[in-house]
Amino acid sequence: MKNFKKTYLSLTLFAVFMFSFSYMLVPLYDIFCEITGLNGKTNQTKVLNINENPAERFVKVKFTSTIANSAPFIFEPVDREMTVQIGKIYNTLYTLTNNSNSIKHATASPSVVPSEDAEYFKKIECFCFSQQEINGLETKELPLQFIIDDDLPLDTKTLILSYTMFNTTDQIGSN
Amino acid sequence: MSANIDKLHDDHSHTPSGIMRWITTTNHKDIGSMYLWFSLIMFFIGGLMALVIRAELFQPGLQLVVPGFFNQMTTMHALVMIFGAVMPAFVGLANWQLPIMIGAPDMALPRLNNWSFWILPFAFTMMLSTLFFESGGPAAGWTLYPPLSLQGGDSMPFVILSIHLLGLSSILGAINVIATILNMRAPGMTLMKMPIFVWTWLITAFLLIASMPVLAGAITMLLTDRFFGTTFFTASGGGDPVLFQHIFWFFGHPEVYILILPAFGIVSTIIPAFSRKKLFGYDSMVYATASIALLSFIVWAHHMFTVGMPLAGELFFMFTTMLIAVPTGVKVFNWVATMWKGSMTFETPMLFALAFIVLFTVGGFSGLMLAMVPADFQYHDTYFVVAHFHYVLVPGAVFAIIAAVYYWLPKWTGKMYNESLGKLHFWLTTIFVNLTFFPMHFVGLAGMPRRIPDYAVQFADFNAIASVGAFGFGLSQLLFVYILFNTLKQKVTAEDKCWDGAEGLEWTLSSPPPYHSFDKAPKID
Repeated sequence: MKNFKKTYLSLTLFAVFMFSFSYMLVPLYDIFCEITGLNGKTNQTKVLNINENPAERFVKVKFTSTIANSAPFIFEPVDREMTVQIGKIYNTLYTLTNNSNSIKHATASPSVVPSEDAEYFKKIECFCFSQQEINGLETKELPLQFIIDDDLPLDTKTLILSYTMFNTTDQIGSN
Repeated sequence: MSANIDKLHDDHSHTPSGIMRWITTTNHKDIGSMYLWFSLIMFFIGGLMALVIRAELFQPGLQLVVPGFFNQMTTMHALVMIFGAVMPAFVGLANWQLPIMIGAPDMALPRLNNWSFWILPFAFTMMLSTLFFESGGPAAGWTLYPPLSLQGGDSMPFVILSIHLLGLSSILGAINVIATILNMRAPGMTLMKMPIFVWTWLITAFLLIASMPVLAGAITMLLTDRFFGTTFFTASGGGDPVLFQHIFWFFGHPEVYILILPAFGIVSTIIPAFSRKKLFGYDSMVYATASIALLSFIVWAHHMFTVGMPLAGELFFMFTTMLIAVPTGVKVFNWVATMWKGSMTFETPMLFALAFIVLFTVGGFSGLMLAMVPADFQYHDTYFVVAHFHYVLVPGAVFAIIAAVYYWLPKWTGKMYNESLGKLHFWLTTIFVNLTFFPMHFVGLAGMPRRIPDYAVQFADFNAIASVGAFGFGLSQLLFVYILFNTLKQKVTAEDKCWDGAEGLEWTLSSPPPYHSFDKAPKID
């Protein structure tokens, strides 16, 4: 009977462990994406080395925007395309307009294509994941400051930064 | 009332009669039978849903059902067949067979066993009841991918709770199986002397305990995302819908082996019996099963090659997936080698086992095609995938279950089934199963997407053929039910060892076996 109890106990613990493991997969997945720069997640944790003498190398950066689930917004980049020097800081803007009459909350999530190069696209100032409160019919400017890392692979000529704007008014309301 | 209960307790040999016998039973044979009957009923419910799908797809255009209901049918058909038909059938076979194959009196945890079974009818009543909700049942596919599944109607929490219950039932069942196998074998039966069916179930039970809790975690996250403001999979809060696919398939791939490993065990039992030879390469069978189980945990992302993975990831998952063909090939080789120069006869269980080998291999090959990343980009979410997994699940898992029922039915009931009717059932089933699923390869390669109620006209002919096959297959299974009842009515009792090539402890018992299988443990040399 002692043997039996040991079997039940260890098997039950195993099942409990696997349940917690499914939750452990969430941070593991983020860490994995961060290390490898997969999934277009931009790396914000690395220390920034601003080169005093930036290389004479230029890449094209395109800006795109998407509005999720037909939210009542107009969300667009001011510059659709920039030619930027590697290792130099640039500023640009997105504009967000609330087309409805009521106050709304919005959040943007970023993504970089090609995703392998996401880690070289460094945003110094960014509006991503922060709640934007916007009044009815108001237009807001969302500033963005970025730098392309020196180590960007040589065969990359174009980078695309894409933002998806979500209407999070309901989620804010329920909290 | 209390006096009555006291009376029952005084007399230990007395079992309650009528319905109470089945509700309160802790006997492995009773519970095994209930599992098998339950799975047969669910097989017909899931089959009816499949026929709704095939009836709608008989012709292009929308004829019978609205697209929303069609999507509910595809979702429910999968959930019912996986969790209601195939898994309970294997658990039923385990309940009946494990104790009598290893020389034990019963399962290790009889009361838990009763509970594992009785969770199922309640869970499925709840799941099926969502079809009558105003907003309908779940319609986002059995994989429940967000964001679509988060946008469904009121059915979602009910379906998630019922999946939780099904998972609980499976985990408890698996703990019971492992405890029985590890602790209750007859003296002298070492692990490497166990019948191969017992081995495959032991490995399956470990897969269940390792993977079902992960599914439970994934659907709990869905639930909290929808109702409690978490953002595991909601992009607006920094979550990622693709993460769900990773967690789901981390469960999902072991799950598909849960659906096939016991089938391997059944076929490895039946082929030697009707070839009158020992199973070729017993040890390699055990190791092949174990390595398939281990590999199943590192191949999950081949279900989602098109989500935009890096090349290194796609190569890793492609090669590990293809690696699974090696132990599977060992198994197919061993089955063929077992038959080589054997004195073969072709009774119904053997016919189903042979069809299993051929048709499962067809499904295995289409799986290899799908494993290739460049090819998969074309095949992904087409009817080719539908053809593939139906080939491994219907003439794979389901054929093995039917073979097992024919093989052990004389042992369970003490009556012999009608052999000519059994053969007729086999031929009808095999012809119609191919008529149903083989054309799906062609329409899939030609680009017909899965999970759609309507399709382009160039796919019409093959779809019409598949629909005819599906109705033929469904009707042939009514013959199976007739054969089962006809067997119970037979007057002649079956011999204790009704198959002369059969080996194993179960054949040393009477047919039907006594209520408590082995009161005294048999000796194994």
